[in-house]
Amino acid sequence: MDACASIYRRYGTACFNLALRILGERAAAEDVVQEVFLKMINTLPGFRGEAPFGVWLKRMTANATIDTLRAGQRFADEDPEALFASMASRAVDADARVDAWSLLMRLPPRARAVLVLHELEGYTHKELSELFGQSESYSKSILARALKKLGDADQPVKDEGALAACASNL
Amino acid sequence: MREQPLNNETLHPVLGELPEFQPSADLWPRIAAAHAKRARTPRPYRWLGAAAAAAAVVVAAVVYVPRTHTEAVVEGQSESQKLEREWQSLSPAAARPAAGLARLHMIDAALQSAYDRGAQADELKPLWKQRNDALRGLILTVQTDTVTRI
Repeated sequence: MDACASIYRRYGTACFNLALRILGERAAAEDVVQEVFLKMINTLPGFRGEAPFGVWLKRMTANATIDTLRAGQRFADEDPEALFASMASRAVDADARVDAWSLLMRLPPRARAVLVLHELEGYTHKELSELFGQSESYSKSILARALKKLGDADQPVKDEGALAACASNL
Repeated sequence: MREQPLNNETLHPVLGELPEFQPSADLWPRIAAAHAKRARTPRPYRWLGAAAAAAAVVVAAVVYVPRTHTEAVVEGQSESQKLEREWQSLSPAAARPAAGLARLHMIDAALQSAYDRGAQADELKPLWKQRNDALRGLILTVQTDTVTRI
């Protein structure tokens, strides 16, 4: 188990952050890491040692994270329009500089998954389509909408009418 | 608020600002304990599964290795491991350049994808070269940065 502990020390944090960025919940992300490392201990002999080990492990983490989203019914909204509808009512503090983490957490879990896997982990839309069981245009649509929403959320609320509308939502 | 609106080009620097959180200190002990618990649970015909797995590895080695392991790919892998060790020893996580890391992640993903679909050596070789070039660039960046700060 010493070798496995060493692997955990090297890759555990990266796997944890991948899961956390998609799930947004610390406990759920730790459960994913636990599941992935238990699986890794059992399947390590099957690793052919060709592609970088860290990538192989992160693939396992991404798959386990998506499975967790599915199990938690957080994939309920398949329609991109419906997926983002719940964001409309979330008001943005006009004075606050919205940091990267807050911006990411404004997105629905599936949109976070597409954004993180495509932009940070290098998944192609073809790979995302296989992962989500959807067409390539689906993940492209989610990504475009996510970018639009992030851009909107990152802008200040300027006019008084918008501020009043914002305040009425609080 | 950012001066530039978020789009495909401005997104990467923003995502590079994402914080890196540490998992709970007791996570590994929990994993080790869960593994030990599973290992103690008797499973009938476990030897059968192990034998099947071993046979699968042997078959995979016989079928797969001669097809993809050209000398250049092996050299690329070996060099990549050396560079990665050097890179890991050089840079604390906080000092790693986000853009270079993003490029490395892209190449890693392309490599994994290539292996997943059983790509041949002629496709793998340039990917390993790209990976090694990216690692060299990262190492150089961190070394230059360190010298500049001194």
